[in-house]
Amino acid sequence: MDTISRRRFLQLVGAGAAGAAATRLSVADIVFAGQTRPLPTGTPILVVVTLYGGNDGLNTVIPYADPIYKQSRPGIFVDDSHLIPLDAELALNGAMTGFKSLWDNQNLAIIRGVGYPDPVLSHFSSMAIWQSAFPTSLTNSGWIGRWLDTQKHDPMNAIGLGSVLPPLLAGVHSVGSVLPLGGLVVPDRASAFALHRLGLPDSSDGPLQAAAAASISDFLNLGKNVTPILKKPAPTPDILPTQGGGSFGSDSSLTQQLDVVAKLIAANAPTKVWAVSLGGFDTHADEVKAQSSLLGTVSQAVTRFIGQMHGSNRQNDVVVLVYSEFGRRVKANGTQGTDHGTAGPVFVIGNGVDGGKFYGDEPSLSKLVDGNLAVTTDFRDIYAAMLEDVLKVQAGQVIPGWSSKLPLMLKG
Amino acid sequence: MANADRVEIARLIHRFGFGPKPGEYAQLVGAGLKAARQQVLTPPSTDTGLLKVANPTLTDLGPFPPQKSAAANTFEAARSQQILALQLWWLDRMALADHGLNERLTWFWHGHWATAIGKVEYALPMYIQNQLLRSTALLNFRDQARAMITDSALLYWLDGDSNVAGSPNENLAREFMELFTLGVGAYSESDVQQIARALTGYNTVRSAGTSSFNIKRHDNSLLTFLGTSGKFDAPAISDYLTTLPTNQDFITRRLWCRFISSTDSIIESGISSAFATRDILPLAQAIGTSAAMSNPLHSQSKSPVEWFISVCRALGVTPSALQHNANVIHFLSTMGQVPFDPPNVGGWPTDEAWLNISSMQARLAFSKYIISQVKLDSLANLPKTDVRIQYLGDLLGVASWSTRTKSVFRTALGDPAQLILIAINAPEYVVNA
Repeated sequence: MDTISRRRFLQLVGAGAAGAAATRLSVADIVFAGQTRPLPTGTPILVVVTLYGGNDGLNTVIPYADPIYKQSRPGIFVDDSHLIPLDAELALNGAMTGFKSLWDNQNLAIIRGVGYPDPVLSHFSSMAIWQSAFPTSLTNSGWIGRWLDTQKHDPMNAIGLGSVLPPLLAGVHSVGSVLPLGGLVVPDRASAFALHRLGLPDSSDGPLQAAAAASISDFLNLGKNVTPILKKPAPTPDILPTQGGGSFGSDSSLTQQLDVVAKLIAANAPTKVWAVSLGGFDTHADEVKAQSSLLGTVSQAVTRFIGQMHGSNRQNDVVVLVYSEFGRRVKANGTQGTDHGTAGPVFVIGNGVDGGKFYGDEPSLSKLVDGNLAVTTDFRDIYAAMLEDVLKVQAGQVIPGWSSKLPLMLKG
Repeated sequence: MANADRVEIARLIHRFGFGPKPGEYAQLVGAGLKAARQQVLTPPSTDTGLLKVANPTLTDLGPFPPQKSAAANTFEAARSQQILALQLWWLDRMALADHGLNERLTWFWHGHWATAIGKVEYALPMYIQNQLLRSTALLNFRDQARAMITDSALLYWLDGDSNVAGSPNENLAREFMELFTLGVGAYSESDVQQIARALTGYNTVRSAGTSSFNIKRHDNSLLTFLGTSGKFDAPAISDYLTTLPTNQDFITRRLWCRFISSTDSIIESGISSAFATRDILPLAQAIGTSAAMSNPLHSQSKSPVEWFISVCRALGVTPSALQHNANVIHFLSTMGQVPFDPPNVGGWPTDEAWLNISSMQARLAFSKYIISQVKLDSLANLPKTDVRIQYLGDLLGVASWSTRTKSVFRTALGDPAQLILIAINAPEYVVNA
């Protein structure tokens, strides 16, 4: 299988389209607009980084000056030689050298004590709450998906990297696209001809069959557009240092995912939201080495990505949001790890971010709620800033009834 | 035969099995709905199809040798070979079983007790767990849960193998209630902490797939949780939790979600009472004969493994006999579902999660890999007319093809390989209507 020319592809589509030609061709035209009408410089782009498993916030942004910190965590506190002080009270995990440089450049905002009322300590319930932005009632839609619902349908609007759709990209009417790490390959002529017609809607389709058909047509449309871009080398990081740190041979898939995102952004893809992820943060046992390796990966991958944006002239457009479903218990457990907890830090990164400072109060280690940190900042205040000051929609359109937000962006 | 019955029989054979073997769907349709239910939902005493699948040879490989040592390469080759053998063995069983119910329920329980070889790392403990799930798949859930709570692979997966009195970790205790027996919200944080204490004292030899109990490391104090108090070890915890009414309701819902609908959670009255004794077969039968089976709203996506196995069964493919059979695992991985390796303890997602560009691309490449290796004589011997379309529906267990898909078939009536490619990628096949 190989790329076919745009002209040839249009011929195939035209040949097969018959009755439904107008609609389908217009979708193809929207997709091709990625190249003919590139995303204008200055259009904000949000990159959402999900850390699955519940990242231990206390060993990420560390209250190193508080004696209760070390007392609570014999054997698993981060010792003084492995931390990077940000001020007299808080330090970054020593693996996060890249984040320190972003902080020094005032491009990194740290929001402390983030969570939601009545925290749930289940991975799945808590992640569902973060991805849906509905803490009190179950909903099947994700917050980025509901943002998609406010936009004109375009499979390029929001893209997740991986093999499964992340719930945050599922809207009520629209869903984001999923791009495999290896990229997309346009199928041979005979297959493309058949698939194009198989991807047409049929009046007998139920919702799932309609979604299956749409995935076929989106595959053809997106594949044609994305393939040539992914064949290019990744943009070279510029300006910011890309120090390593902590990732001793660890999972590099976050770097790969962000490399793909960087290539597509550099190619002016008309995509406004990207979703990437890294798992492995559920550190019930032997936490210290595993977590610092993961944090090193996050720090290095995101810092490299920000450097690539400088090289692509998108440095003022891109905002990166890094979150996990919960923080972990203050006290260590008996297996050199920590159990599920509540509040944790969130990172927001970019040139347009009012960074190099903290937002939200640091939860007190002496005033715990059932052994857990008290939530000081509602995560929806961060989402609202991303929606209103990055994606330019009213927060209430996506999170009904929500209007408060943190002043995270310089041009709020 | 009314189309509604064809739809319901297609649902039966795809959800309570892994799809029909050649001729099976037409036979079931001919026998009628009542007989089809009876046939699909009643396991045979022996399954001759499974006699063709030999158990894999798995050995205790012992601890990992030091990295970069001379022994490391040999060890790694043996470990990878055993994992591949394990995965292909199970896929072969799914594809070759004459009757799909027991393998299908084993697959369900694997997703329920979702333990991943990515962390466990050895084939042998996963095989032992798999045989445990298989031998109890249709029997009593209380027996299954009691055995699983000290299963070596599960203990290791949820950090329950190094738990000692005094400072237990809560991982196994929480997930045992949340995901395996009661459901989220059916317990308090205090219950999690109490039960975590009862689960102390267990150890595993991971490479051997064994576990043991060391009473000196067990917290034998008086515990109070969920309306009871007393002294408990792990099996006693399981026995208590699986007696609670919440357990009856929760497991019923888990089966309902996977066999009927992941979105419509309103369960018909009477279904859960079939699980009063915690016997699994009556519950599966109650769900499989419920009115919900004919509700047009209850379509379901095939997961990647379900799609692949149903293709294998229809085309007479033995997964391990495919060329470069490690490719099978590679393709399943690109589609997002590899047996023995769920993404997390919650198991695999459902429905829309599998209907995306990424899985579409992987499915197409996988289809070509399979089709290039099968003989399509039965199809090729038919006249190049709509007879072939009718044949494909019966072969694959699709009640009816849409106008759209029929029109695509008619562009390729003379090309059997292309017809199969279209059929197994059609929305009507990827989604069980």
